[in-house]
Amino acid sequence: MSHLQLIRPEPATGATPARRRKISLDKVAVDFTTRGKTFRAVDDVTIEVPEMQFLALVGPSGCGKSTVLNMVAGLLAPSEGSVTYDGAPVEAANTRVGYMTQKDTLLPWRSVADNIGIAFELRCRKANAAERRERVAEMIDLVGLKGFERHFPAELSGGMRKRAALARMLIYEPETLLLDEPFAALDAQLRILMQQELLRLVERRQMTVILVTHDLEEAVLMADRVMVFTSGPGRIRTERDIPFERPRNAMELRFRPEFSAIHEELWSELKDEFAASVERERRAQ
Amino acid sequence: MTDSSRLWLQRAILLVAILAAWEACARLVSDRWISSPVAIAERLAQWMAGDLWYHMMITGTEIGAGLAIGIPLGVLTGMLLGRSKRMAAVFRPFIVLMNSLPIVALTPLLIMWFGLGMQPKIVLVAFVSFLLMFFNSFSGARAVDEELMDTLALMGASAKERFVKVVVPSCLTWTIAGLKNALPYALIAAVIGEMMLSRNGLGHLITRSAQQFDMTGIYTALFVLMVVGGLINEGTTQLENRLLRWRHLETRGR
Repeated sequence: MSHLQLIRPEPATGATPARRRKISLDKVAVDFTTRGKTFRAVDDVTIEVPEMQFLALVGPSGCGKSTVLNMVAGLLAPSEGSVTYDGAPVEAANTRVGYMTQKDTLLPWRSVADNIGIAFELRCRKANAAERRERVAEMIDLVGLKGFERHFPAELSGGMRKRAALARMLIYEPETLLLDEPFAALDAQLRILMQQELLRLVERRQMTVILVTHDLEEAVLMADRVMVFTSGPGRIRTERDIPFERPRNAMELRFRPEFSAIHEELWSELKDEFAASVERERRAQ
Repeated sequence: MTDSSRLWLQRAILLVAILAAWEACARLVSDRWISSPVAIAERLAQWMAGDLWYHMMITGTEIGAGLAIGIPLGVLTGMLLGRSKRMAAVFRPFIVLMNSLPIVALTPLLIMWFGLGMQPKIVLVAFVSFLLMFFNSFSGARAVDEELMDTLALMGASAKERFVKVVVPSCLTWTIAGLKNALPYALIAAVIGEMMLSRNGLGHLITRSAQQFDMTGIYTALFVLMVVGGLINEGTTQLENRLLRWRHLETRGR
């Protein structure tokens, strides 16, 4: 696309080659067996994420994007291929990553504040009570849950629970974030605010991020690189660098013509996959 | 008048009606089989001035000591076994067998082993409460949300920390449910033990009265047991409300 050259003259490679390879999936495939039938959820996926890169995976639901995150987190072993983190194979729960799953996994018997602060109760991240209180209060402020500190998860809306889960992950500032539809349950205005906050934090802390979403706009706004997945089995259909500047202003970016151009280009790839996945679901019924 | 005070008034009326009918029956027909509320009240006052507290103490001690052994053991083994797939599979048939045994049927055996004192009743209460708490904690540990365990593992929690922060609190619902079963059962176990063979305790009050064909005594002892059982139930409900507030919020719907 010629008009993209207006943005940045050289084709950006997402990150400078000098950056260390943080996460890598090499020819990974995953098979699941349910009711005696084996099906392939992810097939021949190779992804390299350099340090400090923000990678977004988009695709229709059920295309194995979340499976990729589970493997990087060490919660699932690939059936074929290998997954490495910082050059070492991922074999157990990867404690270097913060993982926000699609389902908010707040502990239902703990209040919002106690959920958010739980990392500091663990031996490996121990903090004293005063420091913990202060950080928790900061985080609660950041995600806009002020006044709900003492509420239980069951007393919150879906969007509020998501924000609490986000705060719980961000509070100990893991070097890598795995985000699975983190903003799906939020209303539009709040989503924009949270996207901006997350960008700010990621840029400031130089975190590496893999974001899974089916919101293409979100992917283009936030990421350095977007990968489009095919639906069932999940393969990489195409990938594209997003050449916008850092730090990025997501609120302003969405109105720029270059943004629309990239969005449109990726959408033309993605819409076939959505159609295919709808068709597949209809046949399955 | 509020709805709740009207409810209590209706209950009071029903109670008075039952007692009045009972008393009338006793006076107009015969109190030989059914004693009478007035006689029972008099006997209760008499016992309260006498040895009732002693017998209650005995039964209470048996229950307390039995629970103190049975509950922690049952909860802990249940949780630990429940978390190990292998152990759970190995133990399953034994657990099912143990569960189908009517435990009070062990009473004669225990009396032969431990004699006439408090020990056989303590063992019986401990056994009953152990089993009930064990089954519940076991199921609770099997039902722990694995995603919560993963979440904590990714934060760097050790196996022990995950056990303390996820398994134990998420089993609490089950444990409390077990407790609501175990406490009334503990009372039953202690009383049955005392009824079979003993020289004291609330169960002994019943058998003593029965041997003397003392209807009023039997009814009075039953009344005392009813009150004790009711207090135990109320206590567990209060405990449940306090410990499981988050749970009630969840089940009440959003």
